Amino acid sequence: MKENRVLLIAGASLLLAACDGGKDETVSAISAVAASSSSVSPVEEPLSPEIPAKEPFGGNVSLESLQRDFDIFSWQSFIALNWPADTDGNPNAGVTIGEQPNTMRVWQHYKESRDIFLPEGTTPPGWDQPFPPPATCGSDATKPLLRQVGKTPNVLDESAEPFQTGPLIDQNGQYTRYEILTNQVMFDYILDNDLYSKAGQAKFNAKAEFPFGTDTEVGSIMLKAAWKVMGEGDDPGQFYTTEAYVYNNPHENAGVSEACQLQRVGLVGFHIGTKVEGNPQWIWSTFEHVNNAPTQGQAADKEHYNYYNHHCADGGVDCTAVNEPPPRPWNPANTNTPPSQIERVIPIADDTAALNRQYQQKLQAAVPGTVWANYELISTQWPTAAGDVTDETGVPAPTFLANTTLETYIQGRVKQTSSSCIQCHNNAAMTNGKKSDFTYLLERAQ
Amino acid sequence: MSSMDNFVGLSVVLTGFAKSVINPTLDEVNIKAEYLPVWTERVASESGDNQLPEKILSNYQALSEQEPALTDQQIGEQMLSDSQSAAFVLACRQLIFLWYMGAWPTVQEAPGTSTGGRTDFCTLSSKSYTSGLVWRVMQAHPMGDSNYSYGYWGEPPVALDKYTGQQ
Repeated sequence: MKENRVLLIAGASLLLAACDGGKDETVSAISAVAASSSSVSPVEEPLSPEIPAKEPFGGNVSLESLQRDFDIFSWQSFIALNWPADTDGNPNAGVTIGEQPNTMRVWQHYKESRDIFLPEGTTPPGWDQPFPPPATCGSDATKPLLRQVGKTPNVLDESAEPFQTGPLIDQNGQYTRYEILTNQVMFDYILDNDLYSKAGQAKFNAKAEFPFGTDTEVGSIMLKAAWKVMGEGDDPGQFYTTEAYVYNNPHENAGVSEACQLQRVGLVGFHIGTKVEGNPQWIWSTFEHVNNAPTQGQAADKEHYNYYNHHCADGGVDCTAVNEPPPRPWNPANTNTPPSQIERVIPIADDTAALNRQYQQKLQAAVPGTVWANYELISTQWPTAAGDVTDETGVPAPTFLANTTLETYIQGRVKQTSSSCIQCHNNAAMTNGKKSDFTYLLERAQ
Repeated sequence: MSSMDNFVGLSVVLTGFAKSVINPTLDEVNIKAEYLPVWTERVASESGDNQLPEKILSNYQALSEQEPALTDQQIGEQMLSDSQSAAFVLACRQLIFLWYMGAWPTVQEAPGTSTGGRTDFCTLSSKSYTSGLVWRVMQAHPMGDSNYSYGYWGEPPVALDKYTGQQ
């Protein structure tokens, strides 16, 4: 009790100082202390290729216990989606996640947005039909094609000016590459309702409502993956890697010439958006490679980071400012762009970090040395009041969530400015002016 | 009952909002944790009576536990009645202002005016600004911070009692 009173006074002092100084950014000392408490029990569930379909609920209604439930949901999703797949895209139940490192994973059989929203609103090929890469690349349609050099440049550039989005440059001066995919449930909904074209959306003339998952059926899932080209200083044995066509899209930025190169790329960031019953705002999970960037205020204790240079932190010259995008013009063909200097702004919560260690140990135990133990959950954002009709975001927890490879330059704790999956995607609409159900993909229809 | 329990209860009575709004079961925003220490510190310092905040909360607790039970309206009227000291009533009114505006009010001395002076205020934080109950009463959103989705401006707002939690 005595300690609590001390905390209350300390919190009050912080707040009053902020108010007297005319500033409005205050982090409560009480909240910070509360957030640091940690109580993690062992995860009993085995590694499984089953994508969780229903809302996680461990039986306790508190922010902390529900956050843990959702974090476990995220890890289960990550493991199932990254399970080795057979040629039809189904998980190979005869192996485990760390095996068959050269086999494409379940999610890599999902549809990439370029295969759905085609020029002139053309009907996309069916789920099982491959879509040919640009002629510049070649003819092997089974290879992934990474064509974006911004998260969703055509969307964020147009509708979210306050966000300082930009390319993320690795330590070798190479642009990070991205892709956005949907599972078959989501793809079928788009196809069945002609939402792949402007004309189809105009005819639809209603809000999109992608299917929920149920107790037994997986619902709509959308993914974003961030990849870095393997180069000097990178150990491909530490990443999940794949061979991909790295495509410079001439439509993305002025001055970009079309080019394509088959390269080995390593997974550095992974978003999962899942729609399950009871969560119309979707559940948002985000993972990163453990060597992406250090956290502000903590020791940068890794020898090598993907997006952080110790030399720059020590006052080196010719370094980019922390968490600032490179100067324009942005052109992925320029392989000598100054590397980004990235730091994580919001630390991973203690409970989530503890859960990460548990899952990393389980993955190591299943397949010693597996690359999947080199990934960590940053957090899971979920609606705490999903049915609140006065707040369509459902009051997300945590309030802010950013992946250093996907929301690099909008990390922080300023509402409507800093990254929040639900808050941002709540603004998404179709070309017919109707809500698009928390996805910006439908804006891509032509 | 903890100080926070009494603070929440008193806030419900004085604002007219339901407990589900003032203190949701899953309270990610948790603005009450920002308000209680500010209210406690400011009331004590401005009144010159360090015991006043606790006295107010204790008074509320006694009224809330009274048998037969009083309604929220009756408790609120007693908390704000003339039988209380001016500092006591001012602290309650400051609490109302704090919840509605997310800001701390200061009544300026202005001898000889009928109003007793103007009220200046200071917004505590960006979180308190967006948490102000005044936005809910207006069935609207703070300037610069909307949690509605695209196209909301073309639809009528949901009923007021959904915002107050009194449905």
